[in-house]
Amino acid sequence: MELLTALAIGSLFGIAVFQMLRRNVIRSAIGVILLGNAINLFLLSTGAYRGANPAYADLATPRSDPLPQALVLTAIVISMGSLAFLLSMLYIVSARYETSDMDEVTGLRN
Amino acid sequence: MPPSLVLLPVLIPLAAAPVALLLSARPRWQAGWAVGAMATSLVSSALLLAHVWRSGPPLVLAMGGWRAPFGIVLVGDLLSAVMVVMAQSVLLAGILYAVGSREKVVAYPTFYPLFLTLAVGLTGAFLTGDLFNLFVFAEVLVFSGAILTANADDPYGTEAALKYVYISLLASAALLLAVGSLYVAYGTLNMADLAARIAASPAGTSDQPLLGVAVALLLVTFMVKSAVFPFHFWQPDFHAAAPTAVSAMLSSVVVKLGVYGFLRMTTLLFPAQRPQIAPLLVALGIVGVVYGGLSAIGTHNAKRMLAYSTLAQIGFILVAIGWGTPLALAAAVIFTVNHSLVKSAMLMLAGFVASRAPVKTAAFAVVQGVGKAMPAAGALFLVGGMALAGIPPTNGFISKMTVFRSGVEAEQWWALLLLGVASIFTLIYVTRAFMRIWWQPPVGFTYAGKTFAADEIKAKPYGDRLLAPALLILAVLALGLWPTPLVDLAMAVSRWLGSPAPYIAAVLGS
Repeated sequence: MELLTALAIGSLFGIAVFQMLRRNVIRSAIGVILLGNAINLFLLSTGAYRGANPAYADLATPRSDPLPQALVLTAIVISMGSLAFLLSMLYIVSARYETSDMDEVTGLRN
Repeated sequence: MPPSLVLLPVLIPLAAAPVALLLSARPRWQAGWAVGAMATSLVSSALLLAHVWRSGPPLVLAMGGWRAPFGIVLVGDLLSAVMVVMAQSVLLAGILYAVGSREKVVAYPTFYPLFLTLAVGLTGAFLTGDLFNLFVFAEVLVFSGAILTANADDPYGTEAALKYVYISLLASAALLLAVGSLYVAYGTLNMADLAARIAASPAGTSDQPLLGVAVALLLVTFMVKSAVFPFHFWQPDFHAAAPTAVSAMLSSVVVKLGVYGFLRMTTLLFPAQRPQIAPLLVALGIVGVVYGGLSAIGTHNAKRMLAYSTLAQIGFILVAIGWGTPLALAAAVIFTVNHSLVKSAMLMLAGFVASRAPVKTAAFAVVQGVGKAMPAAGALFLVGGMALAGIPPTNGFISKMTVFRSGVEAEQWWALLLLGVASIFTLIYVTRAFMRIWWQPPVGFTYAGKTFAADEIKAKPYGDRLLAPALLILAVLALGLWPTPLVDLAMAVSRWLGSPAPYIAAVLGS
């Protein structure tokens, strides 16, 4: 299970960074989404191996740590808001330059 | 004083922001409400500073009644209180500038609510005692600033904000990874508890391999936040494209979040890793000072020049934090406060000139010679420029003098030589900006397809108001002529930062 989680987090990070560096605006936004998910999975894994039961369900058996779950919940909400803002800005910028290629967005370079 | 006093500087702007949104149908009421809320908040933070300075131990408020290592705490210690008072004074000046500004973005219904949430994010990040909470407040700060810039009058505002959001998302990712690494290694996110547990299991032992990773990730986070050299490339675009009232905040107090982070990292969280962190801070600081100074000389726009100048001035602060002697830490605090006042005033003056230029931009080719009609702004710019370059009787002289003196005390001769040479750059670019705007005759220019001949260039008779930069420059002169209170305060901060034990005891003991 640990190996599987580690592989999943690692490959998500790899794909996310690769996609974020693409020139297409939609692909780079997908990279941002994947990066957020990779981090959430990493945060969740920090508390995953102390027990399989949810907190307070059964006091006799080892329980999973609730704090990382709370952290992930907060991080999901924040990343959703930031993604909405990012997509709207990508839409405005690509509409203004009539392109989906980030390399053609050159207003600031002059 | 009740410990709930530490909540007020965060709560007042947070509660005032939605009310300001409700007032959006009445712009004058909304502006008045925002000024009132910010002023009240500044009074509460000044009370907090006065209390902490007089009594010593920090005010600790356990949110929701959960005790320190378990719940989230707000900690108003001396360093946080100084940063909060500095930030809110400058933010109040920023709102005053916005009230007197003719920019279109100021009439945007969510301008003042977003300005207030900018204050919430910054104040909360300074006051919180929990690393994850720091992340949340930093996100509030990032998005308030990004939305304000994306709506700027500058045609490239959206692009600059997009760039900033991308780099900030990477910083947030680094901060979250650091939070996760520290949590899995030490089982806590409370900064005091974390400091105690890290000190109990010193570095070098093989049982905490994630500690080094967390230190590196936190360093990256705070370097992005204060635009330190290798992570600086978004900063001049973003700060120059923002609306004047906002860019004066971004380039003065918002970048101080990273400085605060470095101070907390080296004195509270990772004092054992100091020997590894400090040379990096000194080296990057010196690179920033030289690179920022040279880039500021090379730009053709007054706002961009001031944004690059921030890069250099943050460098001075980093070098002082890296030296880390008690005097150097005091110098870092003095420099932080003084730079915030000067840089916000200078950016407001650049925006003031741009608002009365024939085309609304701060490019030197456009604003050259238009200063003749506004001698008062010229006098203020001259004083501000002297403060940036470190010439008495301004507060910039006090901050540069304490930094150099702490360097002499620490016997860092090479660093001092480089800093001294780089200080001359400041003099060059500030003098050049003053000469071109207020001294030389206007020349013809072509901007965005329109051509102006030299004799048609006249300053508009109306523009932004000078009140806010005048107040800030007054503070600059006052702190230059009468620096004793600030120096005493900075020495007290430096003594307080000398050992993490009292902070840990105050937070965990309550």
